[in-house]
Amino acid sequence: MRAGKVGPSGARAWTRLIRLDLSRVMRSGGVTMAAVLLLGLGVYAGWQGNRRIQAAEDAAAAAETAYRDQLAHLISRYPPTTEAGELLYYLALPASQPLSRLSALASGRTEIETANLRIRLLALEGQLYEQETLNPRLAAAGHLDLSFVLIVLLPLFVLAVTYDIVSGERERGTWDMARLFARPRRLLAAKIGARVILVGGLVTALALAGASLVGAPLAGTSPTDVDGGGRTGWAAALIALHTLFWFALCLGVATGRRSSTANAMILVGAWVVLTFLAPAALSLANAVLHPVPEALELTVRQRQGYHEAWDLPPSETMEDFYKDYPEWSDQTVPEDEFTWAWYYAMNHRGDQAARDASLAYRDVLTQRDRWARRWSLLVPPLATRLALDRLAATDLASQLAYQDAVRRYHERLKAHFLPILFAAAPIPQVDWERVPAFEPAAPAGHVSQAGFPAAASLVLASICALLVAGIRATWAPGRVEAAQSGLTNRPGRRIPGGRR
Amino acid sequence: MSNILLIARRQVGAMREDRYLVFLLGLVAALGIVSVLAARHHAASETEQRARYQAVVDRQWAQQPERHPHRVIHYGFLVFREEAPLAFFDPGVGAFAGTSLFLEGHRQNSASFGDARHATAMLSFGRLTPAAVLGLLLPLLIVAAGFASVTGEREKGTLPLILAQGATPAQIMAGKALGVGAAAVVAALPIALVTAAFVAAGGGDQPSIARMLALAATYAAYLSGWVLLTVLVSSRSASSRAALARLVAIWVVLCVAAPRLGGSLANALHPMPSRAQFTAQVEEAQRQVGDSHNPDDPFFSALRDEYLARYQVASVEELPVNWAGVVSREGEAATSRIIEQQHQQLLAVHRRQDRVMAWLGLLSPHLAARDLSMAAAGTGPEAVEAFRSQAEAHRYAIIQRLNDLHTHEINYENDRAQRLARQHWTEFPVFRQDPPSLRGVLADRPVSLAALGLWIALPLAGLGLGRKRLPRVGADRPSR
Repeated sequence: MRAGKVGPSGARAWTRLIRLDLSRVMRSGGVTMAAVLLLGLGVYAGWQGNRRIQAAEDAAAAAETAYRDQLAHLISRYPPTTEAGELLYYLALPASQPLSRLSALASGRTEIETANLRIRLLALEGQLYEQETLNPRLAAAGHLDLSFVLIVLLPLFVLAVTYDIVSGERERGTWDMARLFARPRRLLAAKIGARVILVGGLVTALALAGASLVGAPLAGTSPTDVDGGGRTGWAAALIALHTLFWFALCLGVATGRRSSTANAMILVGAWVVLTFLAPAALSLANAVLHPVPEALELTVRQRQGYHEAWDLPPSETMEDFYKDYPEWSDQTVPEDEFTWAWYYAMNHRGDQAARDASLAYRDVLTQRDRWARRWSLLVPPLATRLALDRLAATDLASQLAYQDAVRRYHERLKAHFLPILFAAAPIPQVDWERVPAFEPAAPAGHVSQAGFPAAASLVLASICALLVAGIRATWAPGRVEAAQSGLTNRPGRRIPGGRR
Repeated sequence: MSNILLIARRQVGAMREDRYLVFLLGLVAALGIVSVLAARHHAASETEQRARYQAVVDRQWAQQPERHPHRVIHYGFLVFREEAPLAFFDPGVGAFAGTSLFLEGHRQNSASFGDARHATAMLSFGRLTPAAVLGLLLPLLIVAAGFASVTGEREKGTLPLILAQGATPAQIMAGKALGVGAAAVVAALPIALVTAAFVAAGGGDQPSIARMLALAATYAAYLSGWVLLTVLVSSRSASSRAALARLVAIWVVLCVAAPRLGGSLANALHPMPSRAQFTAQVEEAQRQVGDSHNPDDPFFSALRDEYLARYQVASVEELPVNWAGVVSREGEAATSRIIEQQHQQLLAVHRRQDRVMAWLGLLSPHLAARDLSMAAAGTGPEAVEAFRSQAEAHRYAIIQRLNDLHTHEINYENDRAQRLARQHWTEFPVFRQDPPSLRGVLADRPVSLAALGLWIALPLAGLGLGRKRLPRVGADRPSR
């Protein structure tokens, strides 16, 4: 700020001004209560986020245990002469994507999507879109995470402590007295400074509580790592910028000559538009612009593609299979009897039939994600939210990346088991220790790619709001003074009854 | 009475003079209309799509070639959840429940492809639906219209004048509430009219008049509570500024924070197993039954001995029925029972969580109103569960019918090579969805109904108690 331009005695006056104002803000019962509530809610949300991460780890462990148990059970149940293909029909292999530490901050879609699919060697498209066991009523109520407290609720606190920063003094008639101690602009800067310190303290306390709860790394590790320090740094920067954006907006409105109540109504209106209406309208537009019929299409096609194969000669299915796996085209299956190689080739035929629909489905979701990302830049809270979700790898793109990782895993499993299936090898010939394990998806996009556009949008929006405030403070100080007498505090409301 | 009307008119006049308020009112009314149109568009295309795919799937089923019945058990059946006709008004839990469900033998799949899964995080801020406009935005509009209803008079010094003209405090409160309520009616009317027009014009599935009335009653009660609370807070506050700050804080706590906190608390108190854990549990339980695909399984060898004794034969080949079909049928019965048990355990967790939410409705009328609204619109969790259980019943009936065909129409010898003629497939029943009745779902929500009643009764009682205090508070207004 401009503190540097003030001399040593001025600096003392500065700190005194700030301290005085801070103590006055804190004395208000409502402000203290709101701060305590926010802090409590934030700590609770951080704790819940941590619990979600633990639950995901437990689920991953459960999937792994279930796999071991099932394998042991299947091996013990079938006689050793049984073909491995029969056992593989049942075997479900875990594909667990760990949650990032940052997901405690921005839980994104983690409550809807499952990150613990268990994959069988059968047609993949039917297994890829399993839904998490959520209670729809709770999901419809919306979820509470730390980013909700910081992005949705904290701005209201900022608003509550700044909306009457000028008009309040005016209406109480204390503006003149305060001006004896400092110039209006300095006074304003001191008052804003005091509030930034207050809110900054609150955010820092929340961030530290959150970090200590989930053990988020504050620095280090590689930038592509989901838990990398770069991601935490960007997230912290975005939250700070977002909070400052609200300060700038409040300042832009509060320096006007309107009454406190008018300021409050305008700011609450802005908050409703930015955190509810604009995101909801964009979401609606997104859904209308990018419809997803392919979701149902691919279900229908995969089922039909697989089942039709039972009524076709095996050689026809195998021809289709060799198109995707030419390295196996020298292998043939008998025409008149059941073989497991043919069975899995029929499953592959189901995936082939659904492929176009599946790609189209994926494209639509990618388009939705891109569109949302682009247009969100006009709505700072939404841009922040999407960027945080991206940093925490809990957004739509990350979910698609997970599905791709599962697709790759399914292919690796096929590559591993096809020799066994074509050889019609019995169960004991499989070395279960060498079965490939799932490799989690790398987070979508680079860290700065995720954070930079949102940060730029926040900075630009803040500058615009500050310019408005600055112009008013520079060009219209007289007007501010003229409006000081408390009697004109509700310009919009005259006494209508008096006319009658 | 005439005093009340005079004061109401005075309040309406004051609100009309307030350009912010007039702008806000226009905005909310416009948003209401837009939300109805958009939601209606979305719901119509969604319904059309599901109906189209259901027709495709039904045709594919009927046109199956000659197949072995067990093949058809795995071919299965796809059903698509029909949304209630009023889902466009309040989509309820619809977006978070799957829309398509694959019914096959040996397992109970979960419905997949909910709307929420195709949405970006934008959705997490809330949805622009008529129900959200009425439940979330209108209370805020009421606050804006009424926060200064009493404090304003006090600040202008007009309150003693009104009292001196013979209006009692109770009449002032009633008049103010009436005036503020008028603003709410003006904002809500376009939504009601457009919705009614759509319902009247739309053919086919008509939402019953009772459902519309239940919706209207729910929102009327909920919004009346807000009107009363606004006037109450205004009458008890020292200044308009304080009244506005208090009311906005109340709105944030009740409408924004409480639903999410409630959902989170319910989840924390009654945690649910993850999908991975749930399927592992089901498999574990199923292992106790054995595998109908494996004829040497102990469960099925006991069954075999029973059948051999009943028909007085020495081997399954001599049975007058196809043993493989019997095994498949009994296996299906046993696994279905186990899966349903597991599923009921999961639903029991849901119900415990729902109870937490219902009790929290006593603290946040927004939760109670939402609960009743989705019940009235027919988009509550019951509708989703009804679809699931009806689909499961349909699945079970179809699979067992196929097993019966297997038992009686297919010979045990050379079983797998035989096929059934195509006309069998056309004889299967079509899946019909039967939504839960309005009376039933409302009767299941005594706590929410009570919460909404309290939401009106408490501010009313507050206004009644504050009756005598009104002039005294007026005397110490700050502007004198």
